[in-house]
Amino acid sequence: MKTLLDNAKLDKDIFFITGDLGFGVVEDFQNQLPNQFINAGVSEQAMMGMAAGIASTGKRVFVYSIGNFPTLRCLEQIRNDVCLMNNSVVVVSVGAGYSYGSQGYTHHALEDIAIMRALPNMNVYIPCDSVESKAITNFLCKDNSPSYLRLGKSGEPILHSAELIINSNKIIELKNGSDGLILFVGPIGNQALLAAKELEKRGISVSVASVPLISNLDDDYLVKAAQGGPMITLEEHSSRGGFGSAVLERLNSLGLQFQLKIVASEQINLSEIGSQAYLQRSNGLDDKSIVNAFLALKENQKK
Amino acid sequence: MDEVKVSDKSGILAQKARKEILKMTSNAKASHVASSLSVVDILSVLYSGAANISPSNLDDSDRDIVILSKGHAAAALYSVLALEGFFDLGWLERYCGDGEPLGGHVTFKGVPGVELSTGSLGHGLPYGLGIAMARKRSKLSGRIYVVMSDGECDEGTTWESALIANHFALDNLCVIIDRNRIQSLTYTEDTISLEPFAKKWEAFGWQVEEVDGHNHLELTNSLSKKSTIPKCIIANTTKGKGVDFMENSVLWHYKSPDSEELNLALNQIEHKI
Repeated sequence: MKTLLDNAKLDKDIFFITGDLGFGVVEDFQNQLPNQFINAGVSEQAMMGMAAGIASTGKRVFVYSIGNFPTLRCLEQIRNDVCLMNNSVVVVSVGAGYSYGSQGYTHHALEDIAIMRALPNMNVYIPCDSVESKAITNFLCKDNSPSYLRLGKSGEPILHSAELIINSNKIIELKNGSDGLILFVGPIGNQALLAAKELEKRGISVSVASVPLISNLDDDYLVKAAQGGPMITLEEHSSRGGFGSAVLERLNSLGLQFQLKIVASEQINLSEIGSQAYLQRSNGLDDKSIVNAFLALKENQKK
Repeated sequence: MDEVKVSDKSGILAQKARKEILKMTSNAKASHVASSLSVVDILSVLYSGAANISPSNLDDSDRDIVILSKGHAAAALYSVLALEGFFDLGWLERYCGDGEPLGGHVTFKGVPGVELSTGSLGHGLPYGLGIAMARKRSKLSGRIYVVMSDGECDEGTTWESALIANHFALDNLCVIIDRNRIQSLTYTEDTISLEPFAKKWEAFGWQVEEVDGHNHLELTNSLSKKSTIPKCIIANTTKGKGVDFMENSVLWHYKSPDSEELNLALNQIEHKI
C-alpha cells in the first residue's frame, strides 16, 4: 500500500478504488490523495464497471477488496468492461487462499486464479512476500494492461533475501538443487522451502522457485525443468484450473515429456473452519504433504 | 428557432435510420428490430446536435460521450453513426456478416463512435459513471449520456450506480431510458414491475424528466437543460415505432422482417414524414 501511495504521489493518473474495505490500510492514501481515491461502497459490480470507465479516460485504476469480492462477484464487469475493452485496471484481492480461514468458505479465495487466468488480456500476478509485492506494484504502476494482483494477508514470512525488480515473466529461484523442482505461487512458498529442507535431510536436493507472473510462463525455464527431474507445483488454491493447470497446459503445448504432481486443495470439506495453517495442513498443502508428494513421484520415476 | 432546426435535422436522420434498421435486420435475419425502432429517435436527436460528438472531435478529451447500454439495439446506433459519417454506409449492408465490423451487439473495436462494447445489460451505466467521475476529478467538461432500456433497470448495477452518482453529485451524467414497456418475454410491468418508475429515480436523488421519446422537440429541449445533480430522462416510447405491425409486440423483439414485411415496413416509413 505504501508502494502504491508513493507511486500515486508522483503520478496523478493513478486511482485507487476500494469496495468499502481496508480499515487501517487505505486511510493514508485517502487522506493524502483524496482526488485519486474513491470508496465505491459495497457495490462491486458498479465499482468494477466504474473503474473501467475511469481507466478509459487514461487513468491507471487499482481496485481493491478482499477475497472473492473484486473477482467473482463482478466477474462479467472484469470480462467485458476491463478485459474486452483492454482498460488499464488492476484488480487487487487480499486474503488469498485460506488467509481468512476461520471466516468460512465464503471468505476462502480458492478459485480466483483459475477464473482470472482464463480471461483474455489479463495478466495474473501472485507475489509470495512483501519483496515481490513491492516489485510487482512498482511495475504495475507503470504498466497499463488489465491485471490481477493476488495478495495474501500482511505479515507472511519474507522469502527473498534482497530487493527485486520484476518486469518480465522470469521464474525466480530461491534455492537451487539437482534432483527436481518445486514451483510455487504465493506465500505458501514458505512450505515449499520447509519441504526442501526436509528432503535435504534425506539426501535429496530440489530447486525451489517462485512464479510471480503465471499468465505468461517462462518457456525456457520450463524446458530445462522438465528435463531436470520430478516437478511439484504448489498453490493455495483449488486443484482445478489453477497454477498447476497453467504449468501442465504450457508443458503440453511445448510437447515436453515430464513428471509433475499438482499440490493444491481438493476442496473436499467446504464447511471446514480454522486457521490458515490448520487448513493448509488439512488440505495437504503443508511441508509434510509436499515431501510425500515428491517422494511418491521419485518412486514412480524408478519403476 | 434553433431548437426547431435541430429537430428537423434529427427527424430526417431518424427516418433514414429507420429504413436502414429494417434493411439490416432483414438482410441479416437478425433480431431486435423493434428495440432499435424504439430507441432510434433518442439516438438521432443526440447525434444530430444535442450531444457534442462528431466524427471530427472523437479524440477531444472534453467532448460529450454517448453509451448505448442496450447493446442489442446495435442496428439503431450503427445506422445513425453511419448516416452521420462516422464510418462507411456500406458497412451497414454487411451487418452481422462473417468477419465484418458490425455485429448484432454493439462492439467497440474498429467501429468509430462506439465507446463501449455492450450486449450484456447493466454495463453502460457503471462505465459511464466512471467516465463522469474521471472527468470531474480531472476538471474536464463534457456530458456523459447513457442510453438504457427499461428492462435493463432490473439489473442491480443500475441502482448501485444510481446511489453512487447521487453520492458524488455527478451533474455531468445523464441517463436516458427507452421506456417502451416491453422486455424479453412480456411487458415490463408483468415481469418485474418498475412503476412508480420516476419516483424511484427521484428517491435515489436524481432529477427526473418524462418526455415523449419519439418527439424530437421534447427530447431536444430536455437534453439541452443541464442539471445540478445526475439527470434521468424517461423517454416514453413504443417498441417497433413507425411500423404498425411491429408496434407493441413482443414477437418483433426476435423476428426479422422477410422481404414482403420489409417492403411493407419501408413503405410505411417512407410515407410517415
